[in-house]
Formats: sequence, C-alpha cells, structure tokens
Amino acid sequence: MSFSATLRDVTLKYRDGDALSDVNLELEADKIYGLLGRNGAGKTSLLSLLAAFRKPTSGEVLIDGQPVWENAAIVSRVALIREGGDFDDSDTVKAAIETGQIRPGFDTAYALKLAERFELPLKKKVRELSRGKRSVLAAVCGLAARAELTMFDEVHLGMDAPTRDAFYKELLAEYMERPHTVILSTHLIDEVANYLEEVVIVDRGRILRHEELEVLQDMGATLTGPAAAVDEAAAGLEILAEQQLGGTKSVTVAAFAPGTRERAASAGLEIGPVGLQDLFIHLTDPSRNGARR
Amino acid sequence: MFDDGTPIYRQIADQIKAEIMNGSLEPGGKVMSTNQYAAFYQINPATAQKAFRELVDEGVLYKQRGVGMFVADDARERLAADFRERFFERVLAPLVVEARQAGISLGDIIDYLEARHGDARGAVKSEEKGARQ
Amino acid sequence: MTALQNLTLPNRRYSLGLGIAGAALKYFKYWILAAVALAFLGPLALSLSTEIDLATWFYTGNIAKWFTAFVAGGFLYALVPNMIAAGMTRRELSVAMGVFGLLWSAALGALVFAGLLAEHAYYGAMGWSQGVKGDDAVTVLGSWGDTAAFAAVFPLLYLAYFAAGAVIGAAAYRWQNTGWLLLFPILTIVFSLDNAVYDTEPFGPAWAGVLGRFMDDWGRGLVLAGTAVVAAGLAIAARRILIDIPLRSKKA
Repeated sequence: MSFSATLRDVTLKYRDGDALSDVNLELEADKIYGLLGRNGAGKTSLLSLLAAFRKPTSGEVLIDGQPVWENAAIVSRVALIREGGDFDDSDTVKAAIETGQIRPGFDTAYALKLAERFELPLKKKVRELSRGKRSVLAAVCGLAARAELTMFDEVHLGMDAPTRDAFYKELLAEYMERPHTVILSTHLIDEVANYLEEVVIVDRGRILRHEELEVLQDMGATLTGPAAAVDEAAAGLEILAEQQLGGTKSVTVAAFAPGTRERAASAGLEIGPVGLQDLFIHLTDPSRNGARR
Repeated sequence: MFDDGTPIYRQIADQIKAEIMNGSLEPGGKVMSTNQYAAFYQINPATAQKAFRELVDEGVLYKQRGVGMFVADDARERLAADFRERFFERVLAPLVVEARQAGISLGDIIDYLEARHGDARGAVKSEEKGARQ
Repeated sequence: MTALQNLTLPNRRYSLGLGIAGAALKYFKYWILAAVALAFLGPLALSLSTEIDLATWFYTGNIAKWFTAFVAGGFLYALVPNMIAAGMTRRELSVAMGVFGLLWSAALGALVFAGLLAEHAYYGAMGWSQGVKGDDAVTVLGSWGDTAAFAAVFPLLYLAYFAAGAVIGAAAYRWQNTGWLLLFPILTIVFSLDNAVYDTEPFGPAWAGVLGRFMDDWGRGLVLAGTAVVAAGLAIAARRILIDIPLRSKKA
C-alpha cells in the first residue's frame, strides 16, 4: 500500500542551469528518509519531482512503480509540504485545512485534533498567522493527509524548539500507527537523526550518498595524535578533513580500512566519532569535491 | 539520552542486557515492543528492531510470533559468560595502555583494585545490615 | 467547501468545480446583491432629474462580464498551486475550472436574464423606455420577446469572458512576468465580438473593440457562432497552458 519512489536518469533543467543531473535513486516503501544537502543542492527540486510539482526535463519519476506525472491515483496519496505551505492566504485556517479534503484519504477529525493541540486559531486568516504558526498549519495538513508518501521540505522553519519536538513526536506516532514512506528535508540534521532509517545526501544536483543511518554514523572517525603516527594510520584512507596544532594532528577519515582501528589504537592515537552533522559538512565541502565541476 | 559514539541500536541492546543482568528484566519475561521502545526513546522503530535482532541472534531474546519478544531462560548466564569474556579485552586492556602512558606501575593498580574491592565488599555488607534493621 | 466532503477520486474534479462555484457565489454574494439593488433603485433615483430611456440592467450585465473574467483569472491563479499541492492533477483542475465556468456563467446569465425581464415589467409600469445604446442609435426593447432575445446571449458571453480570464490567469502563473500580456490580444478578440453581437457599445476601453470593424458585415448568427468558437478555443488554450504547468518554487 505504502509508496516506493524511483528516479531513473532524471535531469531537471531550469533556465539558469541544471537543478538535477542524471539522478538515480531508489527509495523503498515504509521507511523514514532524511534528505540532506546544502542550499541549492537540489533537495527541493528532487521533492518537487516526486510530488509531480514539476516535470523532469528527461528521465522517469516513478511512485509505487507508476509514473507520477498527472496520475490522480498516485498524487492524491502523495503529499509534499513546502515551507509555509501552499495555502490561499485569504482563507481562514479552518478553510485551509478543509481544502485537504480534496484527498479522499484526508482525515479532517485528526487535522482538527492536531490544530487544537498545536493551538492553531481556526477562525483567523492564514495571512494573519506568524511564520511559526504557518509552518505548524502546513505540518498539520501534511500529517492529516494520511498520504502513502509524505514529504516535509524544511517545514520546521519558524517553529520553536518545543513545537519542533512535538511535531517530530507526532510524526513518529503517526508513522508507527500507519507505516508509510516519509522524507524529511532539513538542515537540523542532529535533531532528526534518530527518527531516520536512511539518509540521502544531495550535492550539486547529484546523489552524493544514500545509506542507512547507522552506516553513515559509523562511517567517519577522527584520529588524533602525533602527526607522523596519524599520517601513517590514515595513509590510503579517504580523508575528509585535517587539522594540525603544533605536533598534534587530527584527521577525519570517511571510513576505516580493515585493521586501521587496531593499528591506530596500538599506536596510541585517540579515535573519536564524527557526528552526522560534521560528516555532512565534510562530505559536502566545496573545496573537497570542487574538482568535479 | 544517547552518547554520540556508539550506534543507538547497540546502546539499546546494551541497555536491555544491563536490565537483564541487574534483574529488572526476568528470564521468560516479556520485553516492550519495538514501537514502545521507539516511542519511548523517540527513535525510528527500525533502529529498535535492529537492537532486538541482534539480541535474538545472540540468544538473549527469543521471538514468539504474534505475541512478542521474551527474555531467554538462560539469558543471564549467557550474558555473564559473555561479559567475563570481554571484560579483560574491553575494560582492562585500555586500562593497561593508559596506565603505561601515565607511568603508573602495575603494583599500584593492583593495590588500588584490592582496596576498592574491600570497600565494595564492606559496602555490600553494611547495606545488608541496613536492610535487616 | 462542503462539496469536498466524502468525495471519491473519480468524481472529485466535479465536486471541486461545484465547490468553487458555490464558494465564489457565496464570497461575492453581497456584491451581487448590491449590484441587483443598484440596477433597480438607480433608475428610480435618476428619474427624479431626467427621463429614463436606457436599460440599467444592460450596464449591470456588462460590468458582470469584466467581473467574470477577473474571477476566472484570479481563482485559477490561486488554485493552481493550492490544488496541485493538495494532490490534484492538472487535468482534474482544468475539468473543475470548466464546471466552475459553466455554473458561474449559467448563474450570472440567469440572473441578468431575469433582471432584464423584470426590468421590462418595471419600466413598463413606470412608463420608461428600456433602450440599449448602439453604435448609431438607441434600440428599444419594445416587447417581452425583444428583451428575452437580447438577454439570452449573456450566458454565452459570460462563458467567453470566463475562458478569456482563465487563459490570462493560467498564463500569468506560468510566465511570471510576461504571461499577463496575453490580456491584450485576448480581450481585443472577445470584446470586439461582444460589440458585434448587438452592434452595441459594451462597457470597456475603446481599443479593445478595434476588431469590430471586421465584423460589421457579419450576421448576428455568425457573430454568435464566432463567440462560441472563441470561447471553446480559449477554454482549450487555458487547458493547454495548465496541463504541464510547473509549480513555482517558494523562494524565487
């Protein structure tokens, strides 16, 4: 029932250049994905294609194995919630929620329950809402859509920390009650990391990595110690970043080769983990893969 | 709630093991469901599932289809044996390395350990006494 | 929109059309009531100072044409991002707009038809003359039949204006800075045809009627057929513009 998503050789060109070039991606159903990328990396373009907000310049976008473009049976059960939502500003909050009823699966009672919990003023006009409340309204509509593929694009913007927390909680509860496919695009990586099963990193219009969360979390490591010993241990490994202070050197590597950990430990080097956020920063550092363009 | 270095599923597995060791989870007892764990720790259910799978593979938990997860009858013995096996490698090996770096002699360490061990025994005894009163 | 409750996937396009038409009429109900009141009370006030020899409802009906184009364009412009984001296809939206256009044109057409007939009775009772100003002279709608025949074309004209507005609304959404420019050629065609139907001078800018000179020799039937063809053509054009319209990004 829940939707898988596939991109095959997808390119999306805008007038001022490629937003996505030759992207291949396979997202299985029933998982929560994190979509990471710097500003302008192509996250929103990717989501816009999955929701049929846009048509790819070339390539195929399949949801549940079917072309998504102009496919009512599919798009009625795909929800992309963009920052601030897509509302008629002159509508009341209640009317904006009720617009969602155009989806046969929309759960109005649930939407109104959430609206009450998040203290949305139903009678106010959408244009009178603060940025945070507007984001909440968008998130509420996304949850209540009860879609088979639900995507939140930076929907947390403007929400304060307790509201974000409550939103993630509700998202997880809804997900467990009714497993479906979820994609969260965000910059607050560490905040959502625990909710994710897999992570897709987009960089300059391409898929840089698509891994299980644990693989990424296990991936990086920092080796700190005397410069010579660090260099020896890190030789031949993919180096993401390095720093030196006097004779002490710290190197962040993407992954260990077999035996590296043991050798580093016996050489007395300090081995530290790399947080997802730091790993992301290193992986998408322009000076690192700048040569590709 | 979790520390940064270790994957969360491993931390959850370790926590369940610790609960079995300290007796808050009884052999044959039912373990909370994946979803309950996920909701409690606010994590993806797949992560909790991974922890369970690991524990099932290790023979610490067993699964009863449609009913849930249970603590194996011999879980505590298994864990104790396992723990003993890894104690030297995990706890003592790094200790030796650090002590050598700090220039602490083996004799000092042994003295310290013996003293602590005595304290610990005394503490247990006085606790027992306190409980009896 | 109450029409959206308990809908099914195959019929939701019609439900939406019905819902929008209902919502639009409800939204503008006071404007419409005010226009109706003005159409009847206006001449009464004017009659104190001057003789009434022109049909007020003719002007009301003409203003409603521009209003119709404005509503069609404005609604479509707002509906494109809202409804596509709500999980509708562009095809469904275009059908919903078609339903909206038919209902809206029928409703306003019926209102103006009834208004003109009521005015006929009203003017008759007051001893005024229900006249329509043409290019050269005032044509008096002397009989019930004259009035009914004159009033009967309004629904068709509303459809044409609605389709024109829809094309402009869709184009303005699709081509952010230039789309609205379609307003000039499209309104020129529609307005000129409108002028030609009764050789009248509908309410509006004179430049928009420039094509009228080419239609001078057309018979009324041909003009009406032309209007119908143009309305259909514009509806098809609106659908074409809509059918692969991309949603604008939020941060332009």
